[in-house]
Amino acid sequence: MKTRSTSNRWLKIFSAFSLSMLLMSSSHREAPMISNDPFADNTDLYAFRSPANPGRVIIIANYIPAELPQGGPNYYTFSESVRYEVHIDNNITTAGDDIIYRFSFRQMNQDPTTFFNIRLGKQNLYTTYTCEKSTNGGNTFTTIISNGIVPPNNIGPRSIESAVGLNASGYDAVMNSAITSASTGEKVFCGPVDDPFFVDLGGIFDLGDAPRQNSKPRDGVARYNVHTIALEIDIASLQKDGKPVSQAKNILDSDFVIGVWASASRRAIKTLNSPVGGSPFNPTGGGSFSESGNWVQVSRLGMPLTNEAVVALGHKDLWNSITPYQDLANLPTFGKYFYNPELGLYMDDTKFGPAVPAFRALRIQSHSLNQFDFRNNAPGLFPLKGTAAVSGTALDDALFGNLLLAGSDKPRSVDLWPIFHTGVPNLRPYQLATGKSGNPLATGKPFINNFLPNGGDMLRLNMAVPPTPRNDPKFSSLGLVQAAVLGLTDPIFNTNASLQFIPNMDGFPNGRRLEDDVTRIELQAVGGIVLAAIGLWYDDYNPANPAQSPVTNQLVNTLQYSAGVEKNDTTFKTSFPYVQSPWRGTSIVRQ
Amino acid sequence: MKRKIYAGIFLMLMFVNLIPASVWASSHREAPLILSDPNADNTDLYAFRNPDDPGKVIIVANYVPFQLPQGGPNYYSFGENIRYEIHIDNNAANNTYFNGDDIVYRFTFSKSNEDSSTFFNIRLGKRNLNTFYKLEKSVDGGVNFQTVISKGTIPPPNIGPRSISSIVGLNAPDYNTLINNSIFTASSGEKVFCGTADDPFFVDLGGIFDLGDAPRTATTPPVDGVKCKNISTIVMQIDIADLQKDNKPVSEAKNILDGDFVIGVWASASRQKIRTLNTGGSGSFSGAWVQVSRIGMPLTNEAVIPIGKKDLWNSLTPYQEAGLNFDPNLGYDVFADNFFNPELGLYMDDSKFGPAVPALAPLRIQTNSLGAFDFRNGADGLFSLKGSPAVAGTALDDAIAGKLLLPGPGKPRSADLWPIFHTGVPNLRPYQLATGKNGNPLAAGKPFINNFLPNGGDMLRLNMAVPPTLRNDSKFSSLGLIQAAVLGLTDPAYNTSTALQFIPNMDGFPNGRRLEDDVTRIELQAVGGVVLAAIGLPYDDHAGGPSPVSPRLLNVLGYTTGIEKNDTSFKSMFPYVQTPWPGTCSCAGLEVDYTQPEILPPSNRLGIMAPEIFVASSPNPFNNNTTIRYRLETASHISIEVFDGRGNRMNVLVNQQQQSGTYTVYWSASRLPAGVYFVKALKNGEIMQTLRVVKN
Repeated sequence: MKTRSTSNRWLKIFSAFSLSMLLMSSSHREAPMISNDPFADNTDLYAFRSPANPGRVIIIANYIPAELPQGGPNYYTFSESVRYEVHIDNNITTAGDDIIYRFSFRQMNQDPTTFFNIRLGKQNLYTTYTCEKSTNGGNTFTTIISNGIVPPNNIGPRSIESAVGLNASGYDAVMNSAITSASTGEKVFCGPVDDPFFVDLGGIFDLGDAPRQNSKPRDGVARYNVHTIALEIDIASLQKDGKPVSQAKNILDSDFVIGVWASASRRAIKTLNSPVGGSPFNPTGGGSFSESGNWVQVSRLGMPLTNEAVVALGHKDLWNSITPYQDLANLPTFGKYFYNPELGLYMDDTKFGPAVPAFRALRIQSHSLNQFDFRNNAPGLFPLKGTAAVSGTALDDALFGNLLLAGSDKPRSVDLWPIFHTGVPNLRPYQLATGKSGNPLATGKPFINNFLPNGGDMLRLNMAVPPTPRNDPKFSSLGLVQAAVLGLTDPIFNTNASLQFIPNMDGFPNGRRLEDDVTRIELQAVGGIVLAAIGLWYDDYNPANPAQSPVTNQLVNTLQYSAGVEKNDTTFKTSFPYVQSPWRGTSIVRQ
Repeated sequence: MKRKIYAGIFLMLMFVNLIPASVWASSHREAPLILSDPNADNTDLYAFRNPDDPGKVIIVANYVPFQLPQGGPNYYSFGENIRYEIHIDNNAANNTYFNGDDIVYRFTFSKSNEDSSTFFNIRLGKRNLNTFYKLEKSVDGGVNFQTVISKGTIPPPNIGPRSISSIVGLNAPDYNTLINNSIFTASSGEKVFCGTADDPFFVDLGGIFDLGDAPRTATTPPVDGVKCKNISTIVMQIDIADLQKDNKPVSEAKNILDGDFVIGVWASASRQKIRTLNTGGSGSFSGAWVQVSRIGMPLTNEAVIPIGKKDLWNSLTPYQEAGLNFDPNLGYDVFADNFFNPELGLYMDDSKFGPAVPALAPLRIQTNSLGAFDFRNGADGLFSLKGSPAVAGTALDDAIAGKLLLPGPGKPRSADLWPIFHTGVPNLRPYQLATGKNGNPLAAGKPFINNFLPNGGDMLRLNMAVPPTLRNDSKFSSLGLIQAAVLGLTDPAYNTSTALQFIPNMDGFPNGRRLEDDVTRIELQAVGGVVLAAIGLPYDDHAGGPSPVSPRLLNVLGYTTGIEKNDTSFKSMFPYVQTPWPGTCSCAGLEVDYTQPEILPPSNRLGIMAPEIFVASSPNPFNNNTTIRYRLETASHISIEVFDGRGNRMNVLVNQQQQSGTYTVYWSASRLPAGVYFVKALKNGEIMQTLRVVKN
């Protein structure tokens, strides 16, 4: 029943897809535009159940990358010209977004006679915001916060705490006083914070040198700030029927899946005013501008690293400009980056594997179970298409086989593409190998259901999955990968195929927690770890040898693989907004 | 004769300044625009005589601030659809009020992707966002341009060793080779480099913008806020004869302060008026070009112009600014009062906010110099001398420049800060060192500067006749002209006569700007009144006598923000700015303690340590036939035998001595019933592996 109605939705998506295929052009873009527009640059998106308040979900959308804490005299802040939006899809049967939060910012100078940002209790570029909410796909918006306050940047003790500055009791007090409750119940914070992301930028973008082979890794975003939009929202406000989590049928209840994405938009036309020439000279208008026209999306973010390390340069600008709901129509353009990811070339000794020694621990299955090859352009599970073996599984053409087994040379249509575009259903073969008795297509132990098959890149969270306390000894930045490991190896979980809460089932890619090491998880995923978890073991497992553990050296290598930077350069707050206070301009010793 | 020209120019300036107040009164800006447009953000400008090739001048214009060396995957660079320009005024006499440029260099950049199928910037010899430029030159005020470099290249970002020098990257010998390969000579003779470089600027951003806490008063040491950051630089080396208004080489200079060798330099970035975002991730640009950023003197728009006027300031040319700066008749101005009564002056005055900014305590503006002159904000400075016989024949004479330099009461810094930024300083009384003045600041003294180019606009003014100080000279100093003044006042080699002599660092800021010059310190000292003291208007504690030296002057000279030099060296040859920090370097990111675990060899599929034999079958399950492959590590007697589920031997597929290697055996089981079979591999009679196969 449920699968049938889902499959009907897929059919709808399919017909839309074939229509718009003809509309696709292959225009190559110029330089990536958004790197020239930092104020509209969406850097990271998080969605997780609040560990402190499990009836609520936290969504964090970050903008403005690599803010120097000491970046005066005009410190970074949200732009007046940009619409910052957080979008939620909670219902596959309704078109597009079900909920939109739209943030618009205003600035004023309380003392335009000084070049300092803060002086004598006055603040320049003093920023306030309006938050509007739409629950009808963006047709109408209601203002739910009309004069929210963005705290000043954490310039230093003279500006924040001293009598000649703001005379505040401390930066945290300034920050806490900016937490606002919307008229619809959401808790909201907008302001500068420590960038919670962590990654060895310098290493990884030097042709994949992560972990660095000749030196210690370096967190390239350590000690930088971003501007965050943090929301705490009742699960019942997000769930499609307004149900609280207590009404979930089980911890993988499909009705509790949401897809979250964030964006930034600008007006189509920006006109720079020039000082009027002639004599007498008239400076009016110099240094000002006006904006008009439609709002055009210039940045978006759903799953982490999609547009950084999956989509190739030639299509990054296009990707930023479309909504997730247009992704399926653009499958001819973007599908290949998931079916045959560039990163896959570097984990395959017959391609560029030998050229990227840092990825040596990651080797994609080339003859899993003596049969299946998942290296770029190999068949993957395609030989099973239409066979009796996949009947009744998600790979059945009657269900999702046409998307998940998309072709004889699209091996990752079965794992990477759905992880980014549909979420993963609690259906065969997407269950842990535990209980499968060696047959990956058999019923196994459930571990994920964040299936929301709209075909678009989103962060998908099943809100019914309980949060793992951050002080649980089994809490792990490996997220769902660690849940799989526990489900396969921990005697508490690996002796039966029944649905149990396994710690970190609330971790990426089931949503994304601040702690989750998404770089590592995604590289492991490209390396085939999800395939292994569901019983498509690495090459060094011999299915004919009953004595051999499927936890082979190659699986161990993949699990142990790390990009080297595994956690943020500071802690997280234990209460809303969870992201940490911004680095202070005067306390930065080195970047 | 010469004085008449100055006076005439000043009169012309005054004429265009007749603008009604109402026109600009409501021009309060919103957020500073250029923040959101880093690619067009002009960060620093330098102009100095080349110490290695003194017949030439180096101009360095930097853009795109705060570049993280590790800022991938799309590393920073010059933007397309931007005009980056370097402007030179060498002749104030032919200026109009909207354009006084005599030479304009215009750079435009374009990019292409050599391999758009990768997200890496460099891979297998191919570069993405590969950037080229065209350089055009105008010598008629920007009316006509000629292309002097048609396709210059810029080096790639200095990503790291794998991208730059490995075989899977560009396979270059090193990054400096790439820099040197991108040095071009224009058809008009200039040497040009465009590319990424270490940001040569140095400043404690965190301290100074925390309400002026430089040097930091807390226990934390000062920090160079632009340490380990790169910028995008345009560097030019130009013959002095090409810059001099009559094309004279420097050998024809009448003396080292020849007024005919003064140039004013400024840089800008412009965008087209209308930017349209198209659906599909592209943009287009149309309309007239609008200036969005400019720089002449350092820190003008950072620490002099208040926030409410910064965007307007960026949008104007210096010539337009000159039209707005000053109107002695109407008594108002747009920017001039920020120089007449600078905000920083409030923090160096104990009757204002001085006590609130303890870091600046060594800097206290003269309140009662020579018992007569008060230069604090709102005071009259030298205005009491206006029109008096005392100033007759000096620059302060109304017949010369008095109307600009002494425009009214309550504008004390019209005599020093305003001209330093807007006209340069002439070698006229009172702008000579106190040496030889015998206590009268208006008397003739020892010449030390002449970068007078009175067009009224903010520019970096360089007298190209002043010889360069060698960088290894023991008297070379990052204090620039301040140090020249100190030597002229105190060094016996210079302070015994009023004769014009070359004093080391006369080629330093604000006579042009060298890469080494500590302009933050110099400008703060200047706001603190050090130039006034140098010309004989000593500090309040001066005890009399011809030398202006007093404890307070020493306090001012000893004042430092704590960051006095760049975080790395400069190159000893063109382009002088240093190689950019690589993305993988030790200052790019925070080191994390991590040791990569040992990578294990693939497991032995038998579950034992050394796989002597390794058997697999395919397909499995099978219908009628399957293929069995096996690998031998060492030569052995091998047998491969098939058993059914009850242990009956059904076939012997191999039974012989074999060398090490990989073998294939075909097994046809078409006559056997469906079910489970076991393939056993025996080595020297011992079972090494049993393979379970299923016949459907």
